[in-house]
Amino acid sequence: MASISLKNIKKTYEDGVTVIENLNLEINDKEFVILVGPSGCGKSTTLRMIAGLEEISDGELYIGNRLVNNVSPKDRDIAMVFQSYALYPHMSVYKNMAFGLKNRKVPKDEIDKKVRAAAKTLEIEKYLNRKPRALSGGQRQRVALGRAMVREPSVFLLDEPLSNLDAKLRTEMRSRISMLHKELQTTFVYVTHDQTEAMTMGDRIVVMKDGVIMQNDTPQMLYNHPQNMFVAGFIGSPQMNFINCKILRKQDCFYASFNEYNIKLPMRMNEALSLYADKEVVLGVRPEDIYIEKEYFKGDLNNVIHLYVDIAEMTGANYYIYGSIADKKLIADISPNSKIIKDTVCNLAIDTDKIHIFDTVSEKLICD
Amino acid sequence: MKDGKKTNVIAFTVLLFLSALFLFPIYLVVMNSFKSRFNIVSEPFAFPDSETFVGLENYITGIESSGIIDALFRTVFITVGSVLAIVIFTSMTAWYITRVKNKYTKGIYYLFLFSMIVPFQMVMFTMTAVCIKLGLNNIFGIIPVYLGFGSGLSVFMFSGFIKSLPKEIEEAAMIDGCSPLKTFFVVVFPILKPTAITVAILNAMWIWNDFLLPYLLLGTNNKTLSVAIQITMQGAYGSINWGGFMAMLVLAIIPIIIFYMFCQKYIIKGVIDGAVKG
Repeated sequence: MASISLKNIKKTYEDGVTVIENLNLEINDKEFVILVGPSGCGKSTTLRMIAGLEEISDGELYIGNRLVNNVSPKDRDIAMVFQSYALYPHMSVYKNMAFGLKNRKVPKDEIDKKVRAAAKTLEIEKYLNRKPRALSGGQRQRVALGRAMVREPSVFLLDEPLSNLDAKLRTEMRSRISMLHKELQTTFVYVTHDQTEAMTMGDRIVVMKDGVIMQNDTPQMLYNHPQNMFVAGFIGSPQMNFINCKILRKQDCFYASFNEYNIKLPMRMNEALSLYADKEVVLGVRPEDIYIEKEYFKGDLNNVIHLYVDIAEMTGANYYIYGSIADKKLIADISPNSKIIKDTVCNLAIDTDKIHIFDTVSEKLICD
Repeated sequence: MKDGKKTNVIAFTVLLFLSALFLFPIYLVVMNSFKSRFNIVSEPFAFPDSETFVGLENYITGIESSGIIDALFRTVFITVGSVLAIVIFTSMTAWYITRVKNKYTKGIYYLFLFSMIVPFQMVMFTMTAVCIKLGLNNIFGIIPVYLGFGSGLSVFMFSGFIKSLPKEIEEAAMIDGCSPLKTFFVVVFPILKPTAITVAILNAMWIWNDFLLPYLLLGTNNKTLSVAIQITMQGAYGSINWGGFMAMLVLAIIPIIIFYMFCQKYIIKGVIDGAVKG
């Protein structure tokens, strides 16, 4: 069991390209941390630096209390699960799982015990004599997990382990990995670009962009209180609506003004917005915080907006409407029982308790 | 559909003709190996009849006079040694230059490619002189020379295959506690098996049949099969024992044909893997 500490980590490649700049991150012992972000954000590079597969250009990396910058991967007490499974194709499942232990000169009977125990947990006992090519994607991924498990490492590193699986299998493996974490009580660092995996599996999510941590928080906090527009847009599907508007002050009240609408903002925002009177800001609202039900209009018809519906999508549990208010595009996730059809205008209310106001220039959160 | 059939028939006829053309010299050699030396010269294309058929006489005199048994062992030693050296060293080289990417490894790779297009005849005299100076003119010394000549194509083929291997397998081995050497021999090399077999077969065939290099380096004291056949069957004043010559040729090509038959499926597979995935 070990904590991980990344201090001022920098990664510059030989061609001079810097992908990670001054990264600071503390991962606690037994924590399940997710590194998430779009392609090229440096999440895999960070994981590979923890594994020792990439050199660290600058900064310090600790696993437990040990500085591991110059420690080889085999001596870091880590195990890694790769996106491509990286199973040894010429070895049987049993040999794949036993390989790491054999290299560490673990007695044969102990290897056998551990391999069989891991195989039982992952339900791959009957495939132990098979070669990886005779297994399905999900089975291969379980073998890769088993290979990591038998080593009983202090840290588990998982690099997009589910992205080669189909949607159904991914859901199944997601819960299996979460269960595994609960069972093993070990530090897990998990890289993904899939926000559903991030939201459902992690104790804590680190959202990255261009080698910089944009926010490091619990899934609930990331969703409800994103600290910048990037996180707000990245987490949540469909993504948050961003509406450029102007802050107007009328007596003690602040309004977000766009097109012909003036949305009255909650009083709790007054202090933060006082510096933004008559200034342009970005109003963020999640699709599910837009309603057609009259009770949300709160008796204030000023909060009602008229949306021209371009597309209406029924997915079963959700009903998405994609529409426009003059030049502004808006997505709303409304009740599946709604009768709204495309090419019509509907009245919607924004739940002002759940809106977020961002600075236009810095894109940082002003208030929510 | 009809056009396709017609094309097939034409292609089959052309290929049949080409096969016959290539097989004809072998047919001539086998057929003449059972004829007396004078009949071979006067009627080289005639099938042996009761008058010209000499049975195994050519084989017996050939074996007795050519020292082919010694030459056979020598050739086996040189071929096996060279092929092993080529397979081990070139696969390691290809792995290194494919995985460690910098201007030096790129340069080395192009050097190997360049070595493929330099004809042997261009370097044979200078190289022979250098090899003799270095003391490589013996059956042990010829192995590194073959390694040099065989490495161009072999490195090219191995590199093509290694490029298609996911690097993560090697990284997993590193995390599992392997040193680079162990990673290569325990994880990478077994995966390279199909290409290694192809490289081995292709090199074995030309080294087995090579005449010029052993002739230049080993001379007539350490004769390999091809040299033994050529030198010993040549009598005084330009006379040639054609019967023995043909019989020894048949004996020389039998092992390599058997070897090829066993391994031909790997040749096709390995060449395609290297060429396509590269």
